[in-house]
Amino acid sequence: MRTKSTRWIPTLILLLGAAYCLVPIIWVVTASTKSGQELFTTFTFAPGTGFLDNLAELSSYRDGVYWRWMLNSALYAGFGALLSAALSGVTGYALAKYRFRGRNALFSILLAGVLMPPITLAIPQYLLMAEAGLADSYWSVLLPSILSPYGIYLARIYAAAAIPDEVVEAARVDGAREFRLFRSVALPMMVPGLVTVFLFQFVAIWNNFLLPYIMLGDDAKFPVTVGLYSLLQQGANAPALYTLVITGALLSIVPLVALFLGLQRYWRIDLLSGAVKS
Amino acid sequence: MNRRVLAPAALALTGVLALAACSGSADTGGKAASGPVNLTFWSWTPNMDKVVALWNQGHPDIQVSVQKQASGDDLVTKTITAAKAGNAPDLVQAEFQALPTLVSNDVLADIAAQAAPVKSQFAAGVWQQVSLGTDAVYAIPQDTAPLALYYRADLFQQYGLKVPATWTEFADAARQLKQKDATKALTTFSANDSGLFAGLAQQAGAKWWTAAGETWKVGIDDAATRKVAEFWGGLVKEGAVDNQPMYTPAWSKALNDGSQIAWVSAVWAPGVLTSSAPDTKGKWAMAPLPQWTAGESVTGSWGGSTTGVTTGAKKAGHADAAAQFATWLNTDPTAVAALVKEAGIYPAATSAQTGAALATAPEFFANQADFYPKAAELAKGTAPAAWGPNVNVAYSTFKDAFGKAAQDKGDFGAALTAMQQATVADLKKNGFKTEG
Amino acid sequence: MAPPQPRPTRRLAPYAFLAPATLLFSLFFALPIGYAVYLSFRAVRVKGLGLGSGARTEVWAGFGNYTSALSDPELLGGAGRTLVYGALLVPAMLGAALFFALLLDTPAIRFGSFSRLAIFLPYAVPGIVASLLWGFLYLPTVSPGYFLLTEAGMSGPDLLSGNGLYVALANIAVWGGTGFNMIVIYTSLRSIPVELYEAARLDGCSELKVALRIKIPMVLPSLVLTFFFSMIATLQVFSEPMTLKPMTNALSSTWSPLMKVYRDAFVQGDIHSAAATSVIIAVGTLLISFGFLKLVNKRTDGGS
Repeated sequence: MRTKSTRWIPTLILLLGAAYCLVPIIWVVTASTKSGQELFTTFTFAPGTGFLDNLAELSSYRDGVYWRWMLNSALYAGFGALLSAALSGVTGYALAKYRFRGRNALFSILLAGVLMPPITLAIPQYLLMAEAGLADSYWSVLLPSILSPYGIYLARIYAAAAIPDEVVEAARVDGAREFRLFRSVALPMMVPGLVTVFLFQFVAIWNNFLLPYIMLGDDAKFPVTVGLYSLLQQGANAPALYTLVITGALLSIVPLVALFLGLQRYWRIDLLSGAVKS
Repeated sequence: MNRRVLAPAALALTGVLALAACSGSADTGGKAASGPVNLTFWSWTPNMDKVVALWNQGHPDIQVSVQKQASGDDLVTKTITAAKAGNAPDLVQAEFQALPTLVSNDVLADIAAQAAPVKSQFAAGVWQQVSLGTDAVYAIPQDTAPLALYYRADLFQQYGLKVPATWTEFADAARQLKQKDATKALTTFSANDSGLFAGLAQQAGAKWWTAAGETWKVGIDDAATRKVAEFWGGLVKEGAVDNQPMYTPAWSKALNDGSQIAWVSAVWAPGVLTSSAPDTKGKWAMAPLPQWTAGESVTGSWGGSTTGVTTGAKKAGHADAAAQFATWLNTDPTAVAALVKEAGIYPAATSAQTGAALATAPEFFANQADFYPKAAELAKGTAPAAWGPNVNVAYSTFKDAFGKAAQDKGDFGAALTAMQQATVADLKKNGFKTEG
Repeated sequence: MAPPQPRPTRRLAPYAFLAPATLLFSLFFALPIGYAVYLSFRAVRVKGLGLGSGARTEVWAGFGNYTSALSDPELLGGAGRTLVYGALLVPAMLGAALFFALLLDTPAIRFGSFSRLAIFLPYAVPGIVASLLWGFLYLPTVSPGYFLLTEAGMSGPDLLSGNGLYVALANIAVWGGTGFNMIVIYTSLRSIPVELYEAARLDGCSELKVALRIKIPMVLPSLVLTFFFSMIATLQVFSEPMTLKPMTNALSSTWSPLMKVYRDAFVQGDIHSAAATSVIIAVGTLLISFGFLKLVNKRTDGGS
């Protein structure tokens, strides 16, 4: 008897934790089904009748600019994360598998990038980007997102753990050039780690607000975060479009959740825990 | 393995390059002497692109594209930064109070020559705000926003309240309502929008910034503003009005379910009420803003905006084209009618205020057929406004200082002093000569 | 295919591999940081009424921006508020993460993968959206929580003023961060060899004792790491209070140090003092981080 009840307690506590995490999600799902009239009048968790109307209204807002924002977000996050994973891979590999002068200094300097608050960098980045004639372009958001100190950190740890030195040496004895060695021996071994870097960076770019907000003037290039913000800040004579914002917020989470669920088994967060042990 | 990853990446990158190239060519196309001029326009007015489409149809040689922005205090800075980087749009929408700041940062071009023919279409007080009291003209007025009192006619009747004609009566009405039903409030004092407070001070006769010679005089802490601050501070302190900010979900709900039954707002209020309090359609009425002296009819403004031409457009040789668009947008009968219909603005051009575009009342106020004639009547009593080069500093200090005072139900006078001091200190820091 | 001199290429290879990262770092981190430092020593001077073109010039300001930033009580106040916020957030978030991870690791747990996913889900929600959602749930008149409390004849706490605000803000971050940290700790729990505590279990140790005596010491390194990253995130708290700000009078525009930077730069349009303040914040973060790492390395033998 006793063991049975003690087994249920952890399960129950975990389910409570899950419920706490799901409440706001359930809220946004139900709220997105409500029409503007129902939003503040019906009980919070009672489903409304307006989901399709909200969706239609969101889609027709400024000729469907919302979907354009989603596409932009996918572009920024997709390419940014892809390039970021590639860059982290080559950098992490070099830092993990070569001994050379300045290795630790360089690594520390790259990592210190994490400590710089993004707000600090936003205006100088904008002014420099404008100097290069790239402000208000896709490049202005994509280029600064490629270098991820965090991604390099993870890739270094992963390369150190996943690529045995003997394999590298054996390839060298076979006469492989250094880049070929990286491309056809090391890179395949690093793929699971790089998938994690990709996911991290995808989420980080998708959720980034400040950089695109500063860089972009043309709302056709906005990512979805900045777009939603522009719906929320309508100004004195046009109030926030709550129903649109809520429906838009819900839809903006969907791709991320899908990505997480879909790539769940590729997550290698244990990279992090392995890090400190070694 | 890696080739499979890299090949689509490279392909995709080319796609991005192509996209970037497209937008790039649009910009350079505008600079070419031949072919149509392409102008960009930052605006937050809803449906502005529909109005602009009318222009683009009739003017194949000057094509305008709207880039919709999130409005707010940070938009001014964004515009200034863009201008500093040589990256500003050709046309910007700017609120009246932002004009001195934008001019001071060399964002707006002087379009006095191009604007001269339409000067007569605007009230002198409005025109003074776009000329900043000089011979220059920095923008064409788009909309004005005279203040009025909006109240729930049905609930006023239910509680036996008299529509207040003076601020004393307004305070009485607030107290009476609290006595009859403690869960209701006449209205709220909101510290998250400085524009309303500025308009109320303007009505009371305040002149926050005045220039004499080379010196700015800051009068935020003057007797008129102090009177307004202490009036609202008293109401908040005794609990006669609410102290929570506007434009929150809770505020929308309070308006919608009748927990708040009046709102001091500008002529654009119907649009806000339509989306914030949809259940109360047809139950509101507009009355003149309560007066400090019985029998007068003075009001202030809350917002109102203009269309400016940037120095960037001037450098590119597009000042004439941009000014032509700006005057069309704000004076052409078709354009103004479209602005009223699509964006729900109250046009600044006097001819339009009595024109066909405003013949029918807003749908939400269908019960008040003479809504716009009445608004035009109110607008005539608009007190002169006086803006300076650091309104943004004064406004952001207002939010913090009055937010705290409202929350604590504390000293509104001290909050006003803080606002004055921060504004003067900022001017001094930037090297302005100041007084006050 | 002739490898006569493998050594020079091998010596140069790492530098070639690191070239792209170095280039991007220089362009998008080092250069802007240098530019920010430069801006922090500059100021604007106005001629006359400051209207029209050429009215504003940039001048050398020396340490003027730094002295005024450091003497502004709001910066210190913001740092203090951030400290209180962090003192609430970090123990609550990491405590919950550790607790959930240990529960997930107990034998015969039901619905484990469902709970794990659900608790992790908030990580995918952007900070701005999360604050918006919680903002709705905090406002007494629109929140279901308050609705239920009122139905039950009770009144809820005011989360958007006074000390409730710290709870409200910390809760958003706890909600968003617990799952991620839980997964980190959980994966590190899974990597502990089972034999280590099978023996203890056979000796009659309760699950609690196994957790306290064996599991927690084994995952200490992950705890240190999650603590470090949570600490940096706390020092940079910005988007949650920024999104909640319009909903309450109690959040000033200088509530956290980074909000002050934002206000100075983006609302009041003073890039120069904003740059000075952000340099101060960055240096502070750097010192705290290095201090912490030094401390950890001293305690563990050696460290990497």
